[in-house]
Amino acid sequence: MSWSAPLPALALVGAVLTAGAGALAMLDHLVGARTAGRPVRLLAALGQPVARSALLLLTRRATTPRTDAAAWALAPAVLVGMAAAAVAAVPWDRGVAVADVDDGIVLVGAAFAVVMVGVYLHGWAANSPLPLHGGYRFVALALSYEMPLALVLIAAALPAESLSIGAIVESQAGTWNVVRQPLGLPLYLVAGAGLAFWGPLNVPDAGDLGGGTAAEVSGPARLAWAGAQGAVLTAVAVVGAGVFLGGWHGPLLPGAAWTALKALALLALLAGARHRLARVRLERFVVLAWTVLIPLALVDVFVSGALAL
Amino acid sequence: MAAFGAALTVVVAGAVAVLVTRWLRLALGPGALTPPEQAPFLGGGSVETHAWSRYHVRYYAMALLFLAFDMEMVFMYPWAVVFVEEGVIALMEMLMFITILVLGILYAWRERALGWA
Amino acid sequence: MGLTSGLARLARRAPVPVFPVVGAGGRRAATVLPTLDGIEVVTTPRAAVVLLVVGRVTRALLAPVLALHDQLPGPRAAVQWRVDGGGDGDGDDLAGVLPGLVAAPPGDGEQLRRLMGELVSGARTSSPPALPPVEPAAWRGVGPYGQGGTGMTGGVPYGRPMPGWADDRDGLKLDQLKLRLGPAFPPFPPGLVLDLEVQGDVLQTAAVGDNPFVSWPGDPPVTVTDSVEFAAARTEAVAVADLELARARHHLVWLAGALRHHGLAARGERVLRLASGLTIGDAAAVQALARSVVRSRSLAWATDGVGVMSGDGLPAGPVARAAGDVRDARVADDAYRDLGFEPVTDAGGDARARLRQRVTEVVQALELAERCGDRRREPGGAVEGPRGTLAAGEGESTPSAALLERLPDLLAGQEWGDAVTTVVSLDLDLEEAALGAGAPVGT
Repeated sequence: MSWSAPLPALALVGAVLTAGAGALAMLDHLVGARTAGRPVRLLAALGQPVARSALLLLTRRATTPRTDAAAWALAPAVLVGMAAAAVAAVPWDRGVAVADVDDGIVLVGAAFAVVMVGVYLHGWAANSPLPLHGGYRFVALALSYEMPLALVLIAAALPAESLSIGAIVESQAGTWNVVRQPLGLPLYLVAGAGLAFWGPLNVPDAGDLGGGTAAEVSGPARLAWAGAQGAVLTAVAVVGAGVFLGGWHGPLLPGAAWTALKALALLALLAGARHRLARVRLERFVVLAWTVLIPLALVDVFVSGALAL
Repeated sequence: MAAFGAALTVVVAGAVAVLVTRWLRLALGPGALTPPEQAPFLGGGSVETHAWSRYHVRYYAMALLFLAFDMEMVFMYPWAVVFVEEGVIALMEMLMFITILVLGILYAWRERALGWA
Repeated sequence: MGLTSGLARLARRAPVPVFPVVGAGGRRAATVLPTLDGIEVVTTPRAAVVLLVVGRVTRALLAPVLALHDQLPGPRAAVQWRVDGGGDGDGDDLAGVLPGLVAAPPGDGEQLRRLMGELVSGARTSSPPALPPVEPAAWRGVGPYGQGGTGMTGGVPYGRPMPGWADDRDGLKLDQLKLRLGPAFPPFPPGLVLDLEVQGDVLQTAAVGDNPFVSWPGDPPVTVTDSVEFAAARTEAVAVADLELARARHHLVWLAGALRHHGLAARGERVLRLASGLTIGDAAAVQALARSVVRSRSLAWATDGVGVMSGDGLPAGPVARAAGDVRDARVADDAYRDLGFEPVTDAGGDARARLRQRVTEVVQALELAERCGDRRREPGGAVEGPRGTLAAGEGESTPSAALLERLPDLLAGQEWGDAVTTVVSLDLDLEEAALGAGAPVGT
């Protein structure tokens, strides 16, 4: 049973993405404050995302000469749209999903692939050297993490004999995929961090490019871009919770609460990774992805396959 | 079909929400930007030409390798669904297919096509 | 306007995004910026509400500062932190060109927060554009011989040109961007201007632009702001403990900047807090920090093999010692004679070796400071500064000047990220490089 009434579906996906982006900002602020030795004030951290959003809304949106205005406007929209598609495919409780299509894994994979186009366009459209460079760098990163991402998702689909995420969650009734496919979640998190260009894999918006694709973005457009990044990371966490951490399975609490908690745990993990790991050298990461991560993902696929038989 | 319709609806809704946010004009102050206000950021420096160019994409060899693997992904999606009922023979066949492609990665690595600077 | 006033009330609680531009004499005052409460240092003026000029604006810095001021979207304000001894002089008529400029004592974060509160609520108007509204390459239509296409094509008089092409080492001829990375590019040392020719993501050529801190006749003289103790040690007697503490502090401040460049801004801030109140008693904390930095696999991965410089021709200093060159002015110094001082060296000469070298020197400096007690160092002879050996006489080449000369060869052919990592790892100071330079050519 999937929700065909539009309003509850929009409300659910909108709430998930907004809450996820906000939670990410709060977690990032808290971990950052603790790492930096600043006093950690929980209440102040809760208000941070709202305050920063308000400031960005009150700032003017600057532009550069001769931009590709349509592409620049659509870039964050594409990211949020694709994040929404990925979140729509994940069930929140038994039978409760916005769009639990029969090939949810393909939908998620396709949505995550289009994110690359969105980030690239954000860099290209500004007609400025630093964002342009950031966009092209991201394409190299995306081509490298795409394969491990798709392969571990397929490996998770093998025991379920189906590409639907609902079926994958149901197949984890006994053991979660993180236990019987130990290589899956770490590889997925690395690829997911790359997808949302977060932390150590923040190549398009890197500091050595003066902010990269976000160097020419100000005001509400900057808010939209930051929100888009948060939305993509939330989608990564939600899909990861469903595919690897057993989704809505869990005692006592309702299924939706378990999914939310698991997604929040993944978000916290990723937020923490940002302040512990230095940004990668792109070339090194590309070589690592092709020579280490893809073979590991293949091992994951075939071992899971052998076990599923 | 209804499920895809729902997915499409949330995609469009998400995109529209972002566009609305981006186009909000709540800031005080004059509207038009002078040309120096639009200059690209280079730490105070300048660039005379447009940034749009025939960018030298040095990882094009890696992109070709990615294309090959992407085609392999297309085959793995349906394979994952029918895998358990087909049994060991499906495993063996995909293993052979993947081995051939992995030889491609090995070749690219040895020929230093994966790095570029 | 209920919505905007409600938003303004919320926005006042956000950290103030500040884009700092460090002028002459401002480097030490600017290090406190990331640790201020409620202030956020941003990497692009588009994200900033306040343009913070720390120190004196020299002649060559005036135009870039005005350009950066205009790149802040509204509402914006410009603040200048006047540093003691900055004085009046050449480019200090910033207040004349920026009518809304707020002068403030260094380190005043509260005033920045108040300023932002006024800006978002509308109590203070946004600072007007400083530069005249002149388009850099105005479109003049089709030329007399029919040249100059529409829009973006055509030569310079007919709109902004497209990039030209150039050869490349892999045989392809694609477009090359010529750009000038200006004096306030965040990862670079303040004042460093690089004229780059970039094809794709590789720097084909790099040239160092004019040093904006070179003083013209009649201007205030150049002083080295962030290693004053070492310059003073050439002519006065100083306590060895103070000297070594200053060295440790300097390297820690460099480390904070390097961590921020590598994406670890929060850890960099922690290092800055450690550096700001550094005493001999912090040895344990510093050792723990050194261990964590040296053992960080991700940091090693990001700096390994980047910007290799072999030891020959390098000025004596941490950069040369990281390549295996043992020269250190403290070896021949009477003040260090009985302290059992041995120069620390590393092998490899890449950015990772330089990182390890400086971190080890911090630990060593604290040990020396503890061991030497009240010993004083008499003036005279070469002083081992934190960037290298400062020769005894005036007018000799400084370590930063020597490294700046090698920069074009070092950066040519490097990928962008590696090039920036290399520049960061060299710990350059443009004011120090301007010391021996005298008046600029072509006055």
